[in-house]
Amino acid sequence: MASSSQFKQLEKLGNGTYATVYKGLNKTTGVYVALKEVKLDSEEGTPSTAVREISLMKELKHENIVRLYDVIHTENKLTLVFEFMDNDLKKYMDSRIVGNTPYGFEMSLVKYFEWQLLQGVAFCHENRILHRDLKPQNLLINNKGQLKLGDFGLARAFGIPVNTFSSEVVTLWYRAPDVLMGSRTYSTSIDIWSCGCILAEMITGRPLFPGTNDEEQLKLIFETMGTSSERTWPGISNLPKYNAQQPQHLPKDLGALLQTQTREKMDLALVDLLYGLLQLNPDRRLSAKQALNHPWFAEYYQH
Amino acid sequence: MTTSINETAAQKTAVPSSIRITDDDLYRHSTQYRIWSFTPERLTQIRTEINARAGAKVEEELKNFFASHLDLSPEEKEAVKSKAVPVTTHEELLLVNYFARMILSFAGKMNLPTEVAATAVAFFRRFFLSNSILDFPPKEVFHTSLFFACKTENYFIGVESFAKKAKTTTEAILKHEFKLLESLNFTLMNHHPYKALHGFFLDIQNVLSSRVDMSYMGQVYTNCKRSISDALLTDAVYFYTPPQITLAILLMEDEALMMRYMQLKFGLQVEDEEAKVQSTQDADSQSPITINAAKLLEVIKSCKSVIENKIIPAKDDAVKITAKMHYCQKPMAVVQRMKRQREASSTAATPLPGEADAKKQKT
Repeated sequence: MASSSQFKQLEKLGNGTYATVYKGLNKTTGVYVALKEVKLDSEEGTPSTAVREISLMKELKHENIVRLYDVIHTENKLTLVFEFMDNDLKKYMDSRIVGNTPYGFEMSLVKYFEWQLLQGVAFCHENRILHRDLKPQNLLINNKGQLKLGDFGLARAFGIPVNTFSSEVVTLWYRAPDVLMGSRTYSTSIDIWSCGCILAEMITGRPLFPGTNDEEQLKLIFETMGTSSERTWPGISNLPKYNAQQPQHLPKDLGALLQTQTREKMDLALVDLLYGLLQLNPDRRLSAKQALNHPWFAEYYQH
Repeated sequence: MTTSINETAAQKTAVPSSIRITDDDLYRHSTQYRIWSFTPERLTQIRTEINARAGAKVEEELKNFFASHLDLSPEEKEAVKSKAVPVTTHEELLLVNYFARMILSFAGKMNLPTEVAATAVAFFRRFFLSNSILDFPPKEVFHTSLFFACKTENYFIGVESFAKKAKTTTEAILKHEFKLLESLNFTLMNHHPYKALHGFFLDIQNVLSSRVDMSYMGQVYTNCKRSISDALLTDAVYFYTPPQITLAILLMEDEALMMRYMQLKFGLQVEDEEAKVQSTQDADSQSPITINAAKLLEVIKSCKSVIENKIIPAKDDAVKITAKMHYCQKPMAVVQRMKRQREASSTAATPLPGEADAKKQKT
């Protein structure tokens, strides 16, 4: 097992859900790592969030999921040694803001990132693991253009039963409408919604639904995607926070809407994929596997 | 990090990490398969090595003990030599098993979910695949395993209330927590046969549809669930996959039902010609699964014999082994015990000395 003296702690990279992350240098190999420090001052021993993340990360070995190399224990802290990534998608998008105008990525890069994102998500789902907190901050990228899922602090394994999850997951902007309306029986579709929001954001450089609270978040979603009814989404009226009196909206043309915010061409396949990921009814959302087989990605799988 | 237990025979049949097709492949990617599955030979080797290492340490400490206690009488020396004997590999196994069994009953008393109990047993037994009972008394890891299993399986219980229910202290529970995490090689995800049982239970009803009685099947399910918990205490968990264990248990529960299911599901060949025709037809129409049914049956039968070969350690054994451990760690206790006995016999009031001592070592 590695010891803490093996690593030189460098600058702080950020705060995770339950820990502080530093850049580190493995002194023996010269390889950079990300050191996630978990304080052990709690009287409960190892925090269960850390236990959960370690448990999941040890099972998930995939090129689009950040690797957990080791765990180091020192007197009052636990350090998770992760693969180092140069940047995250949020910072990378911010770096492209010129003046006050955000710019999306070139379409080829959008496609390559979304493809990798869905590969990582598909692998998680195959292993019966939900990420639950997909957002640009948690998508790590490196100079080779690789994208990897990180921060599994909120992730959890799912099995039977799945109806006991807390609804307090996923940063608001990327949160699925069913979760916003208080559904507690969500499954893999929760991550797919986030993948749809992230795809749109990479195209325009702006968050698709930047709500400030639950109500506004739902309002923004419905204004663009249209309101649902029992007819299009059986069971919706049984959701705890379903509001039958809400103003009705017709769906907008998402392709045209995004086209006004990008110079890249929004082709029909892309718009179709967006609709597949951003279905209001979770049962109608594409699975990660289906999304990867979508015609928009044809150039990746038709070889 | 590399420890010797990493290099399992199972691991050598490496699976390419890219294309995954079946659930079997998924399982082969799991740490339960990659790190915690062994051949019987490898498992024996691991246990023997751990025991030998700990035994050598005890011998070394005894040598030091004699060197620093030159005033011992020959009689006392002999007594120490005969009492402070390192435990054997088999004794280690017995005591670990004894406590693993206690975890199950204890978890039952605490009303913890079945999966939590199963994970705790797995953790506890795996801990002693890298540590000897001479280094860590099972008693000290028992609660730690159960509490840590609660965390891993998302079953929230505060350490304070756990300690209260377990009649121990929070310090005792947390003392070896990191050692446990480390000994487990940070691999915490467990796949137990309960889920497989649920799946087979549904599939049997489907495949044998009109030919099974529902209330009878309910009884089978309940019995099997109990048998699975028993099987988790055997080495079957290291040699076989959860579905294989489940099928073995179903076979133990109702052989006729199981054989029928296997005929229809996997096209198992049977003597009876009529049934044979029937079975291949059904198998063709029902599933595209291509499984060598005869080979599967063979695997399940060998799994069954491992499960049936379970060890149920008696309390007496546990007491004796614990006493041995105690004397190994504190050879002076042998001398003190002799002194006490001498004093007792000189006052002629002789309580059964062996018994009194054993009571002190209460497990």
